[in-house]
Amino acid sequence: MQLWAIILDGFREALDRKIFWVLIGLSTMIALAMISISFEEDKITFFFGMADAETGRFNPLSALGRSNVVGLVVYFLLDALLAWVGIVLMVVATAGMFPNFLRHGGVDVVLSKPITRSRLFLYKYLAGLVFVFVQAGYFVVMTFLVMGLRWGVWSPGYLLAAPLLVLLFSYIFCISVLVGVKTRSTVAAVLLTVGAWMLSAMVTQAPQMFEVMPSLKNNTRIYTAIRVLSWIPPKTADFPYVAAKWAGAGTSSDVLPMDFAKTPGGPSSDDLRRAKEIELRELEKNPFYSIGSSLLFEAVILLLAMRTFVRRDY
Amino acid sequence: MVAITEMTNWAVDLIDVRKTYGKAIQALRGVNIQVGRGEIFGLLGPNGAGKSTLVKIMMTVVRPTQALGTILGRPLGHRGKLAATGYLPENHSFPGYLTGAKLLDYYAALSKVPRSVRGPRAGELLERLGLSRWGSTRIDKYSKGMLQRLGIAQALMNEPELVVLDEPTDGLDPVGRRDVRNLLLDLKQRGNTVFLNSHLLSELEMVCDRVSILVNGLVARQGTLSELTERTVEYEITCVSDVASLAGKLLRLGATVAGPVVTLPGHDIAKVNEAVDCLRSANVAIHAITPKRVGLEDILVEAMGGQDAKPSATPPTSPPAARPAGPHGDS
Ligand SMILES: Nc1ncnc2c1ncn2[C@@H]1O[C@H](COP(=O)(O)OP(=O)(O)O)[C@@H](O)[C@H]1O
Ligand SMILES: [Mg+2]
Repeated sequence: MQLWAIILDGFREALDRKIFWVLIGLSTMIALAMISISFEEDKITFFFGMADAETGRFNPLSALGRSNVVGLVVYFLLDALLAWVGIVLMVVATAGMFPNFLRHGGVDVVLSKPITRSRLFLYKYLAGLVFVFVQAGYFVVMTFLVMGLRWGVWSPGYLLAAPLLVLLFSYIFCISVLVGVKTRSTVAAVLLTVGAWMLSAMVTQAPQMFEVMPSLKNNTRIYTAIRVLSWIPPKTADFPYVAAKWAGAGTSSDVLPMDFAKTPGGPSSDDLRRAKEIELRELEKNPFYSIGSSLLFEAVILLLAMRTFVRRDY
Repeated sequence: MVAITEMTNWAVDLIDVRKTYGKAIQALRGVNIQVGRGEIFGLLGPNGAGKSTLVKIMMTVVRPTQALGTILGRPLGHRGKLAATGYLPENHSFPGYLTGAKLLDYYAALSKVPRSVRGPRAGELLERLGLSRWGSTRIDKYSKGMLQRLGIAQALMNEPELVVLDEPTDGLDPVGRRDVRNLLLDLKQRGNTVFLNSHLLSELEMVCDRVSILVNGLVARQGTLSELTERTVEYEITCVSDVASLAGKLLRLGATVAGPVVTLPGHDIAKVNEAVDCLRSANVAIHAITPKRVGLEDILVEAMGGQDAKPSATPPTSPPAARPAGPHGDS
């Protein structure tokens, strides 16, 4: 009953803010834009057929083509759009949750209720995740339906992207909560969270940079240190690979027309080959390593935040 | 084990409560307070005395540096007893996105009041506090007085045995203050215990059975209001004309004369009558006789003075306060 009450309250708070509806509106617009696109054997048409693009040897309606359509959605919509822009917006939308809760004198009443502070903290945290689950769920279900109904590509595994997005969000939401509880400032929570997120993306991707530049890899001591370090932060950059794997998507390099490599000034075929190798290796990785180590990070950050929340005088 | 059965007779029994904020701010320096069941108890003191801190410790909002004692017979922070306690914090600001009725529902759910009970009770309390027309209005549209009444309604949603109100009449107009007083008396009639904080004596004297005066984190006085004020009651006789000519006679009765006003210290009715006789026999017309109670300021000044002079010489004045006061911190 208390959990439900707190989640409901979190929801009412979210509904009251414009950003909730802005996000829903954005998702709807993206779904509408997708509806305006259709795939044919040798071309993709845009704006309900008003414009089109030849696909050359790539046939979107073949089995490989279908998996690549899913791949396109995963890499260009989920990863590039939702997992970055969308999550920044959701960080902004949720960052005020704890500072507002702690600021307004309402916290006294809530703390005086028969609920332990640690439980109250966790319920509040869950309420934040529920907000994001609704947003992510709306986006994923909408795009899933468009893919199925409009393009004839049904990929149930794609639906797992919704919980996966919530998971991804939770890796950085914990930082936002920690900062929010410590400083009671929404702005600080947003800035430090986005900063920490960028940093962890860099640190976790660092070993791959070394792969691309073999000369650096020879310095084994630094390489080992980087690898150990890269294990600590949440693996936010793994998201598209895990999502793609679960959704049964093809690799992004399949999608690029093969002649693309030959355009002057474009990436060399060596570069493309290496990128594809990395991508394939990422796809082969066990997602539970990535998720497990990220959850460990999240748990540590949450415990720190909870400790602050529990020990403070209000 | 005798101690435990004795403790359970109190609705609130706080022993040696101390709170130091950070390293230096000693908000409470060993407070002992006992409140009987069914009583309206007032905690009086100037701003910064530590009243809110004490209440927040009772309600687990602030963690005490040290605290013994019980609330409703159970140790501080007992969850079952928190569910049976209502609390109105001072300077509250409730989430503006909720309506009055939704706020009551939310807080009552956190107190584990069953859903089927919450709806009807919220309606009933809104009615009782004169907010029935405002139940479905967003809180950010409420005036200060309406917020305060909603705050009181919120504290009553779980039909509490103990109601703890921190400055409940803050921000209310005279009518609102009277309504709150009537509500408190009504609660008492229903057998509830009320713990009331105020820095205004006038808010407490009409309703409280007993009062503690908190000064600088220590209980300076404790007792019924009449116990606390009777020693210093004085009578003022206002005459129609100047009575300086009678000053000699009146002085012998212990009175002081200032123009047409004769002031008699103490509460000796016989002396007052003697003074009246004296005035009337000189054909002085009497305009009014007013018994004067000493204001909060005087009691506080007295209490603070007493405490500064000799900290241990402020024994509580009523039986329930028989517990020895804790050792004093340096002031
Ligand atoms: N959260 C806090 N942090 C630090 N000091 C505090 C805090 N709350 C209260 N104080 C200090 O404790 C003292 C008592 O405050 P308070 O309990 O609010 O008194 P009252 O309610 O009697 O006005 C004051 O000196 C106040 O500044
Ligand atoms: Mg106060």
